[in-house]
Amino acid sequence: MSFMLFLDKRHADVQAMMTAKDIPGLIRHLNHRNPDIQWQAAEALGSLGTEAVVPLIRVLDGGHKAVRIGAIEALAKIRDLRSVRPLVHLLKHDEAVEVRWIAALALGEIGDPSAIPILFESLRSKEKYVRYGAARSLELLHWIPRDDAERAYYAIALMNWPGAKKMGKAATIPLTDILQDPDPATRLKIVELLGQIGDPDAQPACEAALRDKDAPVRWAAVVAAKKCRVLSAHIPWGLAKRPRTGQNPWAAAVLNFFFVGLGYNYLGFWWGFLVFMSYASIFTLAQLESGPFIPYVYVYPITALFAAQTFYMAKKMPDL
Amino acid sequence: MTERRDISGLIKALQSPDFAVQTRAAQALGSLGPAAMDELIATLKNKHRDVLLGVIEALSVIRDPRSIEPLAGALKDENSEVRWQAAMALGEIGDDKAIGPLREALKDSNKYVRYGAAFALATLGWKPGTADERASYFIGMQEWKAVEDIGPDAIPALNHVLNDPDSAVRLKVMKILGSIRDEKAIPALMRGLADGDKDVRWEAALAAPSCGINPMHIPRGLSRRPKTAKNPVIAGVMNFLLPGLGYGYIGKWWGIMIFQIDVTATVWLFKYEGDNTTSAVLFPIYIILGIHAWYITRKMPDFV
Repeated sequence: MSFMLFLDKRHADVQAMMTAKDIPGLIRHLNHRNPDIQWQAAEALGSLGTEAVVPLIRVLDGGHKAVRIGAIEALAKIRDLRSVRPLVHLLKHDEAVEVRWIAALALGEIGDPSAIPILFESLRSKEKYVRYGAARSLELLHWIPRDDAERAYYAIALMNWPGAKKMGKAATIPLTDILQDPDPATRLKIVELLGQIGDPDAQPACEAALRDKDAPVRWAAVVAAKKCRVLSAHIPWGLAKRPRTGQNPWAAAVLNFFFVGLGYNYLGFWWGFLVFMSYASIFTLAQLESGPFIPYVYVYPITALFAAQTFYMAKKMPDL
Repeated sequence: MTERRDISGLIKALQSPDFAVQTRAAQALGSLGPAAMDELIATLKNKHRDVLLGVIEALSVIRDPRSIEPLAGALKDENSEVRWQAAMALGEIGDDKAIGPLREALKDSNKYVRYGAAFALATLGWKPGTADERASYFIGMQEWKAVEDIGPDAIPALNHVLNDPDSAVRLKVMKILGSIRDEKAIPALMRGLADGDKDVRWEAALAAPSCGINPMHIPRGLSRRPKTAKNPVIAGVMNFLLPGLGYGYIGKWWGIMIFQIDVTATVWLFKYEGDNTTSAVLFPIYIILGIHAWYITRKMPDFV
């Protein structure tokens, strides 16, 4: 086992706890500062066998992330069927992607075919790590895709893009399913493939991609649009609906009218705060000098100038 | 100035804001020949980047072997452009004594410097001998296919490049390690899993199993990545104590605005309503702001 490279010097504490079968102590070490010790503790817990299962399952709910990961590693080594249900729960609901990923991997290691439906479901996760882990586990469980669509899901999860393309129109729905992936590189690949496959059913997905928040994805969608049967006239219209990255000139102007400086901040200039803090200090001093209301009379004509300048500046800023 | 052989004047002109003046000054210094050597070498102790670049350029035109040693020193400058230029100059001068320092420079963390060193070594007619030298050379030349063909022997050289600040290079390293398929790559891949760049991490995750890392151990490697998510408790406490700045901490630009509104409101309330009313009004608001900041920070996605 290549992994033993990391275990050549087993930490004395871990060794002692393993001999004493001190399960709570080992679980505490899953969150040790030193990652090597985390690993050793997980390995040791896994080698303790079935008696560790119940305490390990108990920490899956609510423990620290490193503890959950270590406990899952150990459970995957023990391969006790009691751990399948809690692992399925984590795969569905855990907030950390790594935990969902390792839960998917562990379900494959344990080898209970009852996990197949949830693993197949996970091929549609929006996180590529989870899809990837689920695909590997399905393979370990000897899952066989029934049709081209399932084969496409599997190929996409493994990032096997040529394989997905081979499925032709059967890949359209699997591809559009994961257009929610937070990774722009993956979305880009999906849009390119949809263009190459050229299925009219991909039209809504291509239109959605025109509005993507990432510029390269939008451009790929423009290139793919024709093959996806998006009307040419619709392309600029679709693009126009993308989330604003350039800021709204009106908002910038209003902000700079009432809070001089923050309008610049809103437009992305870091020094807006400085302008604002200076303005606020001068204004407060003026209020102390001449009472609370008179400064307002003087300040708004001045800030109106700032607001107008900001408005034109924001309008000229490039977008798309 | 060239005619007057005004060396110090020309060196001063290297700092001109006008790029054309800079290059002409460097060329003029070069055209003065070996006579300018002593002063140029003394100027290498200068810390100003433009001066160093100009002097090195001039030295590369003069091609006097006396400049090898000072230029080898410049290969260790803190500025990467200076290191790059020094490497290129050592190639131009064409003296074999430069080979040792240039081979060291192949291990630089900056890709420009590595490229310059490899290029200079090629100019000097150097041929890499061992597999490790070949790997360093091809990495410097950015010929990744050739690095891949070297196989497991390229791993130590690839390890050096993991310090490159350019994530595209680190990504390339992970790809190659994945295709080399050797257990010696495990420490490098573990580093890649905890890389600060998300694409490098993903490539490391794909490469790791092929080098013999048990897939079950990869997620923990990934979980060691640098934390980008903000701490909800800090955001909450800050927003309670200094309302608005908790929002600022999680990157909301309008946090400072809320802070300022709160300061103004607090001052006026104190002035007109007195202590007790002010506390009674503001305290619940601060609690709500604190909880709100805590809550939205918890909900913020942590990129994997």
